[in-house]
Amino acid sequence: MNTAIPVLRRSAKVSRRDGRVLIQHLDEEISLEGAGAALLDRMLPLLDGKNKIEQIAARLEESPARVRSLADSLRGAGVVSYLDPGHEGGGTMTGAEFYAVHQRYSRYWLRDVYQHPLWDKITNGTASRAQVIGFAFEKYHYIEGAYEHMAVAAANSTKEMMPHLARHFIEEYLHGDIYRKGLQSLFPDDLVLHAQPLPSTRALVNFLSETAARSSFAYYAGNEVLQLTENTSDGAVSGSIDDFYAAMRRHYPWSDRLVGSFIAHTHADQKLGHENVFQEMCDSIPPLSAAEVKDALNVAKLMTEHLQLFMDGIDIHYGNNPSVPRLPCDLLSE
Amino acid sequence: MEQTQLRTYGVRRVYEATPGEGDTIALRLRDRVIELGTRENDAYGKLVEWLPTNRKVAELTAAAGMDEARLGRLASALADAGLLYRRADLPAEVTGKQFYDEHFAPALDSWLSEAFAHPYWERMMTGKGSARLYTGWAMELYHYTKNANRHMPLSCAHTRDKAIKLLRAKHYAEEWNHYHYFATSLRALGFTDADIESSVPLPMTLALSNFMRQAAREDILAYSICSAVLEGTTVNRKTYNPYHEKVTELYGIPKAAVQPIYDHLDLDIQYQHSNLFLDIVSTVDSLSAARAARVLEYGHQLVEHIWMWTDSIEKYYGNDGSPVPRRPFDPFLD
Repeated sequence: MNTAIPVLRRSAKVSRRDGRVLIQHLDEEISLEGAGAALLDRMLPLLDGKNKIEQIAARLEESPARVRSLADSLRGAGVVSYLDPGHEGGGTMTGAEFYAVHQRYSRYWLRDVYQHPLWDKITNGTASRAQVIGFAFEKYHYIEGAYEHMAVAAANSTKEMMPHLARHFIEEYLHGDIYRKGLQSLFPDDLVLHAQPLPSTRALVNFLSETAARSSFAYYAGNEVLQLTENTSDGAVSGSIDDFYAAMRRHYPWSDRLVGSFIAHTHADQKLGHENVFQEMCDSIPPLSAAEVKDALNVAKLMTEHLQLFMDGIDIHYGNNPSVPRLPCDLLSE
Repeated sequence: MEQTQLRTYGVRRVYEATPGEGDTIALRLRDRVIELGTRENDAYGKLVEWLPTNRKVAELTAAAGMDEARLGRLASALADAGLLYRRADLPAEVTGKQFYDEHFAPALDSWLSEAFAHPYWERMMTGKGSARLYTGWAMELYHYTKNANRHMPLSCAHTRDKAIKLLRAKHYAEEWNHYHYFATSLRALGFTDADIESSVPLPMTLALSNFMRQAAREDILAYSICSAVLEGTTVNRKTYNPYHEKVTELYGIPKAAVQPIYDHLDLDIQYQHSNLFLDIVSTVDSLSAARAARVLEYGHQLVEHIWMWTDSIEKYYGNDGSPVPRRPFDPFLD
C-alpha cells in the first residue's frame, strides 16, 4: 500500500558513522550500510509525516516497492510509524498491546531516574547526613501519600477498576508506618508525623491524586511506573537496590534502622504480588481508544518526570539546608 | 524522652548565613541580622541539629563541647537575640488581623527574597542566561496563569463563608483570562497559537497549581495566603522592571514580548489584589495557634514551590536538547 504516510519517530536520533546510518530509538539502535544507508539518507528529510510512500518514491526517482520495503523494515524496528486514522483519534489498541508499549517506554523513561546523581552520592558516602535522612523522610511522605492518591483513586474508580483500586489502597495504606518506624529510631514520633514534605514530594503525591480523580486507567498506568521501580524480578535492579542499601549502612552506620525499614517495605510490597496486576488488568479491559492510550502514556511519562523531580528536590534542598526534618511553621518560627 | 530545659526552645527561620565582620557568621532573620562568633555558631548549629532528635543531652554536650548549664545559658541568650524562641511564649490564638499584621506581613519580604534567591535570576541579569531561558520562563508562566482556572474557582467551591467566597469569586472574575497576556508575549517570541495551546507544562508548573488546589480544598485561609504570596511577587514595578529591561538588552527579547507582561502587572496593581488577603483574614475573629501555624506553613511552602519551579525552568530550558515548547507524548509519533 503505497498511500501509507511514513514518519520518523520524533524521539529517534539519527547519526552517521563510517559510511553507516545509525538510528537510535529508546534503548535500541539500528544500523544500515551500503545501498540501504544511501536510500535512507535520501529518504530522511521526507519522513516528516507529510508524504506518502508513492510521493517519496517519485521525489527520489526510486521504485515505490523499494521505498516501501525500507519503510516497512524501519517500521518493524520501531523507528518509523505509519500515520493512519488511529493517529487522528479513530483507532483502538488492545490492552495487551498497550501493556507492551507502556512497559517499553516506561523502562526507557525511568533510566534518567536511575541515573540521578543522588544515588551515587549515597552509595559512595558523599551525601550529607541531611540528604540521607531527607531521602528517608521524603520516601515516608510519598508512601504515606497512599492515604491521598490511592483513596482518591478508589473513591473515583470506574466500576471495572474499583476492585483493583480498592484492594490496592486497603493493602498499602499502612506502608507509611513501616518508614515511620525507621524514622522513630532518630526522631520523636510526633515530629515524624508533623514533618513537612518537600514541594517536589507533594508534587508527586498531588499529581497521582489529581490523575486518580479523573481517570482510573491513566492513574493505574502512572502507578505502574512506580511498581516498575520496586519490581525486583529484574535481577540487575534487584542487585543494585541491595548494593545501595549495603553502601548506605556502611557509610552511615546510624541509618541501620532506616535501611531496615526500606527493606521491610520492599518485602511488604513483594509479598503483595502486585507486579502482575497491571498486566492482568490490561489483558481484561476492552480496547482502548487512541485518546485513552495517549492520556495514559502521558501520565506514565509525567510520572517519570515527577520521580526525577522528587530526586532533585531531595538532592538540592537537603544539600543546601542541613536542617532535617523539615519542621512545620508555628507562630514564632517565622 | 529525657527532660531538659533545652527542649523548651524552638528555632526561628534563618534566611541567609554569610561571613560577618572579623571571625563571625551573620545570620539573617526576617527582621534582624545576628552575628555569632565561630564557637557560638558551632554550638548553635549543634543545638539546632539536636533539638528535633531523640538523642540524649549528653550527646549534645559532647558534640558542642559545653556542659548542659552552659548550653542552657547559650540557648537563653540565643532566644533573647531572636535565633530561638521559648515555646511557652506561643499564643494560644490570634485574631485574623493580628495574624496578618504580626505574622504574615513582617515575613513576606523575607519569604519573597527566599523565593527569588534562585541563581537563575542572577544568571539572567548578568548576561549568563539566554533568550531560550527567558522563553521557557514565559512559557511556564503562561501555563501557571492559565492554571489559575484550576484552583481559583475551586477555592470558592470549598468556602462556606459568604464574605470570603464573594471576595475569592471577584478575584477569579478579574484574573481568569490573564493567560492571554502571556500568550501574546509568546506569539511575539515566534510561537503559533497551536504551539502554545498544545504545549505541556513542566511537572513543577503543574505542581504549583496542584498545590493551590490542595490548599483550596483544605482551608480557604491556607489558599488565600498562597494567593497573597503570589500577588506579592507582582506588587512593585521596581522589582520586576530591571529583569525585563535586561532581557531585552542582553538577549534580544523583542519589546513586543515584554510589553504584555508589563500590561498584566499594571493591571494587577490597579486591581489592588495585594490587599485581598488582609480583607479576607480580617473577617476571621479568631484563629487557633494550630490553624494559624498551618496557614503560615502553606505560605512558606508556596515560597519553596516558587524556588523549585525556577530551578525546574532553568534545568529544562537551559538544556539545548529539550524541545520548546514541550509537546505531549504521542505514541504514534514519538
